[in-house]
Amino acid sequence: MTREKMGNILVWILIIGFGVWGFQGMVDRFANGHVNTAYGSYIPWGLWISAYIWLIGLSAGALMISVMTYVFNVKAVKKVGKMAFLVAIATLVGAMMSVGIDLGHPLRAFKLIYDPNLSSMMGWMAVLYSAYFVTLCIELYFAIRKEQVRGEKQKAIKKILVVLGIWSIPLAFAFHGGVGGVFANVIAKPYWHGPMLPVVFLAGAFLSGGALFCTVAYIWRPAQSKDEFLKMMIFLGKTTLALLILDEILELSEVYVGTFYSAFGEGHLWQQILFGHYWYVFWIVHILIGVLIPLFLLTAKAKSPGAVALAGLLIAGSFLAVRLNIVIPGMLDPELKGIADAWVNSKLTFSYLPSVMEWQALLFIVAVVMAVFMIGKKILPIYQTAGEE
Amino acid sequence: MSKEELSRVDENLTLETDESRRDFLDKFSKGIFGGLIAGGIVNALAPVQARADMDGSNLNFAEPFKPFDLPPAIPGEDVILRMMRDLQRALKKPIEQRHWNMVIDLRKCVGCDACSVSCAAENKLPPGVIYRPVIQQEIGSYPNVGHVTLPRPCMQCDEPPCVPVCPAQATWKRPDGIVIVDYDQCIGCRYCLNACPYDARTFDFGMEYIDGAADAPKVFLGKEKAGKYETEASYEYEKEWKREDDKSPIGNARKCHFCIPRIEKGMLPECVVTCIGRATYFGDGSDPDSLVAELIASPNAFRLKEEVGTHPSVYYIK
Ligand code: SF4
Ligand code: SF4
Repeated sequence: MTREKMGNILVWILIIGFGVWGFQGMVDRFANGHVNTAYGSYIPWGLWISAYIWLIGLSAGALMISVMTYVFNVKAVKKVGKMAFLVAIATLVGAMMSVGIDLGHPLRAFKLIYDPNLSSMMGWMAVLYSAYFVTLCIELYFAIRKEQVRGEKQKAIKKILVVLGIWSIPLAFAFHGGVGGVFANVIAKPYWHGPMLPVVFLAGAFLSGGALFCTVAYIWRPAQSKDEFLKMMIFLGKTTLALLILDEILELSEVYVGTFYSAFGEGHLWQQILFGHYWYVFWIVHILIGVLIPLFLLTAKAKSPGAVALAGLLIAGSFLAVRLNIVIPGMLDPELKGIADAWVNSKLTFSYLPSVMEWQALLFIVAVVMAVFMIGKKILPIYQTAGEE
Repeated sequence: MSKEELSRVDENLTLETDESRRDFLDKFSKGIFGGLIAGGIVNALAPVQARADMDGSNLNFAEPFKPFDLPPAIPGEDVILRMMRDLQRALKKPIEQRHWNMVIDLRKCVGCDACSVSCAAENKLPPGVIYRPVIQQEIGSYPNVGHVTLPRPCMQCDEPPCVPVCPAQATWKRPDGIVIVDYDQCIGCRYCLNACPYDARTFDFGMEYIDGAADAPKVFLGKEKAGKYETEASYEYEKEWKREDDKSPIGNARKCHFCIPRIEKGMLPECVVTCIGRATYFGDGSDPDSLVAELIASPNAFRLKEEVGTHPSVYYIK
């Protein structure tokens, strides 16, 4: 059995498994609203918002790969542009679902597309995501079209793709840096508030999205010849490694500043992240699985496509932990001391561990993301390269 | 005109321009989208149409106040009477010329929670939603310990961080200083909950006090009978809000609004009248003869978290 076939079977098994089990969570969400979620009024955002920034980051990272293909003409990723668009679209759909189910009135969110409050970073998000979605669809269309025509027409489409690609660079910076801004703008939360967060978000997005693409490209092999494939994987591995190092420098700087004089500001929150109840999220899921093992694979086994793909999967998957560690700790401090005991209710507490239905709904969304990709891959001529001149 | 007054008039003007813009967009959207999208999507846009009558105009400029008789002032009278006279005076002025303030005397608060409970009853608050919790705190260390009780309504900040973050323009500051939530526009994203430096907003999760209660019709007063309270409508923002299905205010951000429906009728906020220690005062801070204006000027008056620059309308006295 070819790798692609095995990949297909495995992914479809996951889609069905996650879909069936996760569906229960979705039903709970729509039947009972937010009652069975673990977040409340003092920790208003939880797993779904973390998953939203995780997925939108993956999307931005995939977009970066397509920019390399069409704007910077990087030979190693010449054949993967269309697949990158597809990954970007699938993860964008997932991100929108994740933020959608988190809203109290999801259907009302449509009005944000044409009448947002532009003094709100979240209002901007609605505009930017709409623009991003439209851009992605147009780009994918032209990327497919490019392979189907020849001569002057193909040249013209190439130019269009360059223009669209250039336009998507500031767009990606705006919408993902903007997500960082959603958090960084909140003066009430010192852990989030600051100019670094949008940059950290961007670096994380490019890293996680690039990493995911290592795995996708490995399994579904858009490059045909062995040599081409190896070059592509080595290039993707190197890019991911560089981004991983950059991301870790940024993280180190954050931890260093946050903990150095721990008596001040968010020092105690870092203490909680590093040594609190959920220490394993940082040390095991993020540092061990998401940084150290991939670092080893991407350096010692840089020439092995399988190792690069595994490193990519570990980074991309465990990045949800990074997102959780940005979102949740920011809300752990009461704004006024003693408020948690002033009026007692399960929704008025300062602790958070996602409930089972939250995980289920998230897995359902992951299943949808994978299904969009698989179906898109099947019905769109993603592999078509005939006609290239 | 003072700077503060000017900014309030300015806000009023902004509201008006906002209204015409909303009007235009409303028509535009109805024209374009109405023609293009059918079925379920139209349902999705239905809340947009509700905006025509919920654009804030009905909230900001309620029916004119009809004054009622109050006894003349006498020495030693209950401060409630003085505050009611202050209130009537304020209501005779145009909305942009009054600024509602609350003053809470921490020396008089006994921490009985009567204000929290009466507020919950007035606004029919479900479990998990609270507008005015009373924070209780031990201070000092043994043997020098003390106890502070601090009621925390919404501060109705003059620079409210909860307003600009709202992606749906569902929350704004009225010309009289009250920050309101338009339940029909709020998408329930809870950004404002995070932005408030006083944890003054809570989310309506649609919970009920009778959730999980036993039910045995004819044997004892069961869930159904006891649950009548749960479906009682609240009249916040002078509109009837019934708790049914997933309709607003379920799924919305909620907060203290100084009991707008009461004050517009000349009644003091519920917490003020139920406070057994007479520790809570309310009135028009821009009227130099009002009780709150006098109290705000006292040297031991302070506001919470001045350093975040929110300029709260609620003062404390210690
Ligand atoms: S106290 Fe909080 S909710 Fe109230 S106006 Fe200020 S920021 Fe907004
Ligand atoms: S929860 Fe409602 S009021 Fe608060 S920011 Fe979101 S849309 Fe605005």
